[in-house]
Amino acid sequence: MESLNLIKPELLTLTSEQMTALMPYFWMMAGACLAIIGSVLQSMQPKWVVFVLSIASAFLAMVSTWNTLGHPPILLFNGMMVVDSYTRFGNLLFIASGVLTSLGAFRYLDREKIHLPEFHILVLFAVMGMMLMISSLDLIVLFIAFEIMSLCVYLLVGFRRSDRKGNEASVKYFILGGAASAVMLYGAALLYGATGSLNLSEILQYAVVGNDLSIIFVMGAWLMVVGFLFKVATVPFHMWMPDVYEGAPTPVTGFMTTGLKAAAFATFIRVILSLGYGRGMIESLQAQMHDLIWVIAVVTMLLGNIIALTQKNLKRMLAYSSIAHTGYLMVGLAAGGMGAPDYSSVLVYLVSYAIMNMGAFLTLTLMSGPNDEGLMLNDLSGMSQRRPWISFAMAVFVFSLAGVPPTAGFIGKYLLFYQAVQSGETLLVVIAVLCSAISVYYYLRVLVYMYMKDPQEAVGDQRVSLWSKVAIAFMVVLTLEIGLIPSGWIEAAKAAISHL
Amino acid sequence: MDWFNNHLLTFIVFFPLVWGVIGLLIPTTSGSGVRIYKNYVLFGTLLTFLASLVMLDRFETYGEEFQFVESMSWIPRFGIQYLLGLDGVSLWLIILTTFLMPIVILGSFESVEKRQKEFYFLLLLLQTGMLGAFVALDLFLFYVFWELMLIPMYLLVGIWGGKQRIYAAMKFFIYTMVGSLLMLVAIFYLAHQHHLLFGNYSTAILDLYRVHIEGGSWLAPQSLLFLAFALAFAIKVPLFPLHTWLPDAHVQAPTAGSVILAGVLLKLGGYGMIRFAFPLFPEAVAQYQMVFIGLGAIAIVYGAWVAMIQPDMKKLVAYSSVSHMGYVIIGLFSLNAIGVTGSVYQMLNHGISTGGLFLLVGMIYERRHTREISDFGGITKVMPLFAVVFLIVTLSSVALPGTNGFVGEFLILLGTWKASPLFAIIAGTGVIFGAVYMLWMFQRVMFGEITHPQNKELKDLSLREKAVMLPLVIAIFAMGVFPNFFFKKMEPSVERFLSRSISRPIERYDESAYSNLNTKKDVNHGIAQSH
Repeated sequence: MESLNLIKPELLTLTSEQMTALMPYFWMMAGACLAIIGSVLQSMQPKWVVFVLSIASAFLAMVSTWNTLGHPPILLFNGMMVVDSYTRFGNLLFIASGVLTSLGAFRYLDREKIHLPEFHILVLFAVMGMMLMISSLDLIVLFIAFEIMSLCVYLLVGFRRSDRKGNEASVKYFILGGAASAVMLYGAALLYGATGSLNLSEILQYAVVGNDLSIIFVMGAWLMVVGFLFKVATVPFHMWMPDVYEGAPTPVTGFMTTGLKAAAFATFIRVILSLGYGRGMIESLQAQMHDLIWVIAVVTMLLGNIIALTQKNLKRMLAYSSIAHTGYLMVGLAAGGMGAPDYSSVLVYLVSYAIMNMGAFLTLTLMSGPNDEGLMLNDLSGMSQRRPWISFAMAVFVFSLAGVPPTAGFIGKYLLFYQAVQSGETLLVVIAVLCSAISVYYYLRVLVYMYMKDPQEAVGDQRVSLWSKVAIAFMVVLTLEIGLIPSGWIEAAKAAISHL
Repeated sequence: MDWFNNHLLTFIVFFPLVWGVIGLLIPTTSGSGVRIYKNYVLFGTLLTFLASLVMLDRFETYGEEFQFVESMSWIPRFGIQYLLGLDGVSLWLIILTTFLMPIVILGSFESVEKRQKEFYFLLLLLQTGMLGAFVALDLFLFYVFWELMLIPMYLLVGIWGGKQRIYAAMKFFIYTMVGSLLMLVAIFYLAHQHHLLFGNYSTAILDLYRVHIEGGSWLAPQSLLFLAFALAFAIKVPLFPLHTWLPDAHVQAPTAGSVILAGVLLKLGGYGMIRFAFPLFPEAVAQYQMVFIGLGAIAIVYGAWVAMIQPDMKKLVAYSSVSHMGYVIIGLFSLNAIGVTGSVYQMLNHGISTGGLFLLVGMIYERRHTREISDFGGITKVMPLFAVVFLIVTLSSVALPGTNGFVGEFLILLGTWKASPLFAIIAGTGVIFGAVYMLWMFQRVMFGEITHPQNKELKDLSLREKAVMLPLVIAIFAMGVFPNFFFKKMEPSVERFLSRSISRPIERYDESAYSNLNTKKDVNHGIAQSH
């Protein structure tokens, strides 16, 4: 706390390296602020101004992140934030998911007659929150970033103002999310009380050195973990998820399953590592935490997959499948607690999952009719004959989600489970692959309807905007590319965790 | 040309896919466009067959263990390579695949009416998957091809199949998937052990052969790994009691699908045992030998019995597959040169004879739109040529001396006798039952009076259908009369297979039975040293 009492000049200025590291954040911030101004311009159609501004700023942010990819980690603001390769890796992912959400939502918002410029602005701010979250090394910054992201997403979920389901989803998410934030904040407070620091690296030092962890620390650690488990929606903290995913506008659901989940998970890894998990945490706590994650992984995979079997609504089905995929990611986390933690496979999985799931949701956006009609399995009957390309794209995503080679989903699973076997989690992996065998059934059912049933009357808008086409084609190519030539992605993930 | 010479296997594997992708550009909106497209596809598969004959010609029987090896780093971080190679066993399976493919395509010219473009494209994709699985020498690569086959087959059954097609396609996919996912875990484990032992990552099969995993009991790690592999392959073969997907898939699939399924896909189960499950886990093989021989024997007899009472011809042929593939299993698990050679031969035979039967059933189904045996009778009178061809294929299927089926089954029974006389006797009864159900079916369909008036109008084989059946008939006799030509090429590979798969610690057999077959050649000779 002494640092607050005396003014250190180095805290008030930024070196040029620090400025470079901050550029992506600056672009996003500038884009968002300009977009707010642009949205009130009377002379032009605000949706175009905002759309162009948000895409442009995201593009600039991506370029500036890309240019600094190899740079060493840079601490910012007295060690409250860090821009390292892990951050950069995450940032690229979040920005990309934000851009794709905006692209995919353009026609959708027109159709639903809710094309307010705020949509794109909220997406920008949410991405901004994610970027801050993954780069925070301080529990307060972490919490603020977390809230920036969450608040934007609460609003996005309820974006269909006149829709009852949308409202229900938004309120439900807001209340439960608020509770989770409170739990997490309480955990942060306890950690501060136990360690006397909010800084993650100092907390790590305490956790590793202190042979006798205080009960306060243990409680704080658990509460933090529970808060994150809620955000990533593992069983038993998953109750909110299917309703929210179903009620939210389809592109937003896509955004939540990719950007938001990746951000929450990536930050979760940073935080749980700083609590000493798998890094010399006191043994009893380490064992407990590992076992808990192990059990949660199993329950999450099982429940997600089994409930998904019974779903008739595609959006809801993908929501449950998303729970199941969280379970697979938890396998990676459980494995990380054993032996030498290596989370690169988790990162590859996050990227693969983000790509294929984003693709699936963008495709769903195109398939749906007004008010998200036409997302029941029955409505897909014979889709392959009416809309062959969209069906093909969906088929690729579905095979990828099911983990069939040569797609990104297979590579993700391969690396993740291989890593887990290397850490000695063979039993867990056996359970995981059996669960993914269950998942094959409901994923393939989508194909059954699209390809094997007789055609039905078309539902919904058959026009497809250029933006969506570009976005979906991009996702298809990436899904296959990761499946066939994954080496570059693996190396990138390895580089990303090197500073963790 | 230089590229072709150095990448012969890559060419054979990927040519069908590339050809198919290019073929998508041919417009098929008009009738003539469709005709051009079909002939284009047929021509492509003939080219692949020619390329495989070039390969046969260049294959050196006593050369390196794996020939035409191509290796390229794929995912260096985990030692995964694009590694292809060919030995005497996969050589014949490749030829079988490329040989059957033009026949299947020509056979589908008139039976497939809807969505033809997708149909032929999927067949070509399937061919790439199958060929790739036969030549992949890296477990990861093998797994990719292995799963890649599933997708087109699933769609072929599900889109162009019969009434219950969706159920059958789903069942097929999930059965195979469960097996292969457990195999995937075993692959992880194996690769991890290799890493622990040698310090580097690799999934190349020759590297993994060197990994020794603790075995010796029913549930030792090696035994569990073996079971994981064996489960995946046994489902594919399919071995009793994992065969239940097969009758459904066979009956519902379009003719082309049934032929490929019976002709090639099932062989991948046997091939997987030969290439992976046996040499990787020799002690576990010795442990479970009798269990699998027993299951194989049950499959033979059970398949035959169930086939006997089928009212539907296609289902009868499907159950006969269960029975015939049982021979392959007992031959392999007999673990001697005669039995294993017989098994490989039986795989080829089964591909040809059962493929032929499915084609013939398909032809008569196109005419009558029924496959019920009771709807026929006296067909010889209206379709004499059809009846002759049917008879030849049937006799090959019941293993009449002079046809290919005899050679395979005879060798297998001989080999099994050495391992277990009891099961050889049980399996031997399967030969009799096999003759019973096949000939009985033939009699009911072909002989007697024509009881159904519709049958009087049936046309005999058309020129196209003659062209489809002729190569099969030739193959049946050629393989029945000149088996040595085939045996000679696979002999060194079978010897190497046995030298790896017979576990030394457990001496169960008369060593002299095969010692003269074990040449002094260094078994690890080959690509293991080349990189």
